[in-house]
Amino acid sequence: MDLSLSTEQRQIADAVRTLLARHATADQTKALLAPSGYDHALDGKLAEAGFTGIAAGDETGPIDAALVAYEVARAAGTSSYAAAELVAPRLVGANPKVPVALARLPADFPIRFAQHAGLILIDAGDEARLLEAAPGDVEPVDVDQVGWPMGRLSPAARARARPLGPGTGETLRRWWRLALAFETLGTMQGALDLTVKYVKERVQFGRPIGEFQTLQHRLAELTVIVEGARWIALEAAFRDAAPLNAAVAAGRAAGAAALVARECHQMHGAIGLTRDYPLHLWSTRLGPLAVEMGGARAHRAEAAALRFSSQEIAAREAYWR
Amino acid sequence: MDFDWTPDDVEYRAQLRGFLREALGADWKGYGGLPPAEYKAAAGAFCRKMAERGYLTQNWPREYGGGDAPAWRAAILSEEIGSPHGEPRGSQYMNVNWIGPAIMQFGSSEQKAYFLPRISAGDITFSQGFSEPDAGSDLASLRTRAVRDGDDYVVNGEKIWTSHTAIAEWLFLLTRTDPAEKRSKGITVLLVPMDTPGLKINKVAGFVGESAFSNPVFTDMRVPVANRLGPENGGWAVVRYALAFERIGVAHYRHAENQLNQLAREAHARDLMDDPAVLAKLGEAWEAVEAARLLYYRVVDLRDHGSGPTADSNIARVAGTRAYQIVAEAADLVLAEHSLGGAGRSRFNLTAGITSGATEIQLDQIATRFLNLPRPAVGARD
Repeated sequence: MDLSLSTEQRQIADAVRTLLARHATADQTKALLAPSGYDHALDGKLAEAGFTGIAAGDETGPIDAALVAYEVARAAGTSSYAAAELVAPRLVGANPKVPVALARLPADFPIRFAQHAGLILIDAGDEARLLEAAPGDVEPVDVDQVGWPMGRLSPAARARARPLGPGTGETLRRWWRLALAFETLGTMQGALDLTVKYVKERVQFGRPIGEFQTLQHRLAELTVIVEGARWIALEAAFRDAAPLNAAVAAGRAAGAAALVARECHQMHGAIGLTRDYPLHLWSTRLGPLAVEMGGARAHRAEAAALRFSSQEIAAREAYWR
Repeated sequence: MDFDWTPDDVEYRAQLRGFLREALGADWKGYGGLPPAEYKAAAGAFCRKMAERGYLTQNWPREYGGGDAPAWRAAILSEEIGSPHGEPRGSQYMNVNWIGPAIMQFGSSEQKAYFLPRISAGDITFSQGFSEPDAGSDLASLRTRAVRDGDDYVVNGEKIWTSHTAIAEWLFLLTRTDPAEKRSKGITVLLVPMDTPGLKINKVAGFVGESAFSNPVFTDMRVPVANRLGPENGGWAVVRYALAFERIGVAHYRHAENQLNQLAREAHARDLMDDPAVLAKLGEAWEAVEAARLLYYRVVDLRDHGSGPTADSNIARVAGTRAYQIVAEAADLVLAEHSLGGAGRSRFNLTAGITSGATEIQLDQIATRFLNLPRPAVGARD
């Protein structure tokens, strides 16, 4: 057991933060999202800097790619890096055509990145399906409500998707859950970073509001929740998105997302509701992340079925009964 | 980053399980109901067996008779010894986890020579005299007065919520030696034999299984200056040092996991495993247990890498509390009325946020030391 990041992992996280500070600022994201755009330039920069292909590299693995996905989300980058690097290669090999969108049947609800996607992977139960999207396949939805470029697949496009073979559905789901956990975690951390900074600076009643214990305790509770989600997600990455670990990671993150969004807004007051102030970049995104794949209810049902099967209870029961 | 146990650790855990089975029997159901003297004898006998096998003080430095074991071994031991039926070491877990380390750090050579071998042998029992009626979460406001008189301190005052007084030979006592210093600066630790004249124990009835609550009262109790641990008025540093160890002394998540396994067995037996509400709650509870486990591991890992205490230990402690609480919610969902009138209801729902310090104090620490928020306008200041 050694829970420290390796030197190389720390370097990767530092390097991607530096890149994101230049190429994925809040102002850039705001400008991009106004017409429901996608940051192709950011994907290009991430590839150029060598952050693609690292989930199955010689010296790197899922933790490395997950750290990058986390930082991209924390910076409110508009990129499908998590799906393209952690999920797609498990089904269609390296260098998938980006952006990558992920959907599940009936796939008739808004899907992140769908209108920009080079390829769309669809969870159809036992099997996954692959759709190379064509113009006219996707109808965009109002980005203000969801914080991500999202769109609906036409019934014709859904019918065109081709099956990837038996068992591919589970592969898609477990890696998707892992990717989703890190995107949610990064987005929660971005909202929390901004909120902690804000309460240190905002003065009311003659003192920074961060001196008030009522806010301190709530921020501390959020910290406990998010730190727990972080370590659960890291272990899931270490275990190559093993089904139980991935479901627990996604469930924990999804279960926290709405609370983090609501609390961060509450502590900001009305300034957080304005377009100029960037909190909405993270907070609106947490809504769709919290319900993706069916949300916490679906992740938890999966985790409970795996962890509390009769065999698993017996196998894990300690010496004490 | 590596979340797997080393082969050595796996082997160690297997040996430890074998030892526990052998020392306690495969069907050990706790010391519940034993009168104090028999409880003390049974826990003492178990601790002596642990001592013989080198488990009791495995994590102490060799110079004090320990095994210099890596921090991870302490975590494995906490996990394996964490029984739903209680702590087989009785109160002696406190000795090895924080009283011994505090004596190593702050004790005189005479104190080390007296206490450390007895703790190592499993032959001594302490009570913890911290809280007072007017000093609970605000521990630094404690008022039990110790006045120097020649080679003695003369102690007057009282403590409360003190456990294990019926079996302890020693009291780890916090006193105020400088009344001009209102808060943490005027505090001194005294190690007091329980049979010292002027020490009287009143019982406090509890209703959640904490039958060992008591209220020690001190009336002109004389304690030799030689029994002082650390400098006069320097007791707060001793307390902080000790509590940093106490916070991860118990693998709370393992108790919560044991309860959750039992609940899941009940859910199967009652055909509830396809009820979406039950599945969602069991899944959520398992997340909370996993979060508590990994945050505890995070603290062990920091210690393994030589770091001093950080607010990560407060985060781990709160996560452990939340795990208990959510398992209690799951219990109500799974057992419903079947939990009434028996031992099925989790008492941890009411106690988890209070024992060994209110959760709010941990939250204060997280806010100021992890998030670097300013000290609160009103609230904890030490």
